[in-house]
Amino acid sequence: MLMPMDGVRVVDLTRFTAGPFCTRILSDYGADVIKIEEPGAGDPARRMPPFHKDDPGLEKSGVFLFLNTNKRSVTLNLRTEDGKSILKELVKGADILVENFSPGVMDGLGLTYDVLSEINPKLVMTSISNFGQWGPYRDWQATDLTLYGMGGNMSGSGDPELEPLKTTGRMTSYHVGYASALATAIALVNADLSGEGELIDASAFEIMLQSIDSRMQRLLGFQYNDKVPERLGAAGQMGLGSGTLPCLDGHFMLTGGPVMFPNIARMIDAEYLLEMPEWNTVAARSRPEAAEEFEALLIPWTLERTKEQIQAKCMEFSVLGGPMNTIEDLVNDERFDERGYWQTIDHPETGPVKYPGYHFRFHTGDGEAMPERRPAPLLGQHTSEILIELGRTPEDISGLRAQGTI
Amino acid sequence: MTNGTTGTNGRKKLPLEGLRILDITVVWAGPYGTMHLADWGAEVIRIESTSHFATSSRGTMARPPKAMVALRAGGMGYPDDEPGERPWNRNAIFNTHARHKKSVTLDMTVPEGQEIFERLIKNSDGLIENNVAISMERLGVTWERLSEINPRLILIRQPAFGIEGPYKNYRTWGNHMEALAGHPLLRTYPNEDPARGPSGVPSDAAGGIGGALAFLMGLRYRNKTGKGVMIEAPTAENFIPLMGEFVMDYTMNGRVHTQLGNQHPYFAPHQAYRCKDAEGAVPGETERWVTIVCRSDAEFQALCGIMEAPGLALDARFSGALERWKHRSELDALVSQWTSDKDPSDLAHRLQDAGIAAGMIMNERDVLNDPHVKERGFFQEVTHPEAGTHQNPTYGVKLSKTPNEIRRHAVLLGQDNEYVYKEVAGHSDDEYKHFVETGMAGMDYAENVS
Repeated sequence: MLMPMDGVRVVDLTRFTAGPFCTRILSDYGADVIKIEEPGAGDPARRMPPFHKDDPGLEKSGVFLFLNTNKRSVTLNLRTEDGKSILKELVKGADILVENFSPGVMDGLGLTYDVLSEINPKLVMTSISNFGQWGPYRDWQATDLTLYGMGGNMSGSGDPELEPLKTTGRMTSYHVGYASALATAIALVNADLSGEGELIDASAFEIMLQSIDSRMQRLLGFQYNDKVPERLGAAGQMGLGSGTLPCLDGHFMLTGGPVMFPNIARMIDAEYLLEMPEWNTVAARSRPEAAEEFEALLIPWTLERTKEQIQAKCMEFSVLGGPMNTIEDLVNDERFDERGYWQTIDHPETGPVKYPGYHFRFHTGDGEAMPERRPAPLLGQHTSEILIELGRTPEDISGLRAQGTI
Repeated sequence: MTNGTTGTNGRKKLPLEGLRILDITVVWAGPYGTMHLADWGAEVIRIESTSHFATSSRGTMARPPKAMVALRAGGMGYPDDEPGERPWNRNAIFNTHARHKKSVTLDMTVPEGQEIFERLIKNSDGLIENNVAISMERLGVTWERLSEINPRLILIRQPAFGIEGPYKNYRTWGNHMEALAGHPLLRTYPNEDPARGPSGVPSDAAGGIGGALAFLMGLRYRNKTGKGVMIEAPTAENFIPLMGEFVMDYTMNGRVHTQLGNQHPYFAPHQAYRCKDAEGAVPGETERWVTIVCRSDAEFQALCGIMEAPGLALDARFSGALERWKHRSELDALVSQWTSDKDPSDLAHRLQDAGIAAGMIMNERDVLNDPHVKERGFFQEVTHPEAGTHQNPTYGVKLSKTPNEIRRHAVLLGQDNEYVYKEVAGHSDDEYKHFVETGMAGMDYAENVS
């Protein structure tokens, strides 16, 4: 099908996770993403585990393969004059440039927004960094743990007897990349309308404060009643008919609450409660002891059933609940296959592997399907192709290669 | 539209000005997405109803009993824990995302309301909803019907599991969907009852970003083809990629990770460490923590230097990344001991000066008082007529030529009825009067709505 970002070209200077996630989203919807990598070494994500069959190699990192589908890879040494001039030629024909160097690195290379926007006034430049391009923490170091601890809801996440918990894996970085892709798309609307691009200062810290775990609602909400959210652990989830409860083959997460209580009461064959004055109104069900009283009925019920059985009951009775699955359970849940969610992508070094599918899918009405993604590029796979597009001759290319520019 | 025609930093217009989006979203994922679109200038009109309360929108109930309000945890409640006369205009969660939006009340369950809805569809660019599929179908929200009324419509549908398939009518919130997708089990503490982990919902915010981005992509598609489009953005499918490396480790290697807590796959130390309690803080705010990460031998040596622990630097258990990772529990215990009598902010500054990724774990009050946050102007004072004056979080990103300020407070129920009925739906003064008299257009929920 015709993709919404067809014809949009992205010069991608990003490395690691947040930046590449941003440009991956743009490429998912049709943008031509040209990934600039350091000759020889490439994106450091190429050296991040897990590796295919646990066999390390620049073309086998699961993180890299996942983050760089559909992109074209060009090796370019930006510390050389030739490298810089090739980059500027690419910028001339591009709509978007995304980078996630430490603040100041682009300035040091002489590749500031001012310089680049002079070459291409329509350019949208997205600079992703940990704490923004200015401010007291500009040069601070950070990983997902640091950022989620400072900006996310870590202080309110976890058990009061144990340490505060981060979100899992690289979710913080991916979220930052996703928010940066949205900001980039917004600035692109502006550039298309006005003919003028702009610079986006995407601070991972501020994206945490606004976005992940809906932190902004807590930042406003705590001012409403001067209550800072605390770590409540299991107890915090244990409202009426709610919690992560043990069942026959693991755990199941349920949410009841005084308002939706009737459905959960029916689900466990305790409809008779709804006739009793202790249970027949929202106010009655808001009694502090209600949760514990109901749990005495609920847990024996969950303990007799599997996750799958409880899930079926939840669907039948419109009760909010979900099985505590592993990733294995998820990938093997055929109901996602029925929707054609997963994508099998064939990469020369790994063979076919199953990847997460699209974030959102078009239904165009004429039955056209979204295209299959191309595998992540080999290091420098498209160097010659792109230099030829820029009008370089095979001799030029050999020369650049000999100098180590590409 | 008149909102946002003047900006402070150059640009006269906001990027999405002139676009009208109808909003039938609930909880957080949907409303957070339309917030972004409203922030950047789209006219987002929330369709609400005075005769039906959409749960988890303007609170969990229209008129919550006092006992229930008192149960609310921090960050979720009403000003001074007082629901007030019109609680639906005072709910913290709603008032966070509803800035810049408009609100109209109409009852889509009756024919008269459907007729108004059709008029709105005709004159809008988009509709965004995130309800379970069956609820929308009952209200006649299907692509077949809406595209007939307005072939240029961009329809974004965001139920948890999509609008077709076996989970089509499976009703969940973000946390249950995340449980199914594997997140809480990955996230929770190692070697503890999994129930002790948090039930935070990063999928909600990611769903909002996905919904807003889907609309922008739909807009580009429409600009290219002249045709509207339906985009299905199930929050589960939108969220699973945020665990990409775990999916890949399973599909490439058959490895199943579980209960990781704060551990990193190869860095150590990589943990939250308890610091000295805050003196004189209110209960619930006394605990202080710092995170510390060493990504290399050099950073670990620097940490040992700051800890004044030369023995640690030479300890064979911690020489090299792999050894540190293997002995991470012992290392964590030693670092914890060192941090336990120190101030987390001082520690973060000292460690950062040595190039170590460290930071105080900040609660909401810490954020409000943080010098970096202040200098970058993340908060803006906004007065809401029924909830009061507060510091509002602004934007996660800064665009150099597009205004980044909050221009309008969270919308009151039915605040824009007259504008929407007359200007958008094209009803006459008399017709509008009729809708006010019947209560369809109002600013209060009907008496019998709880």
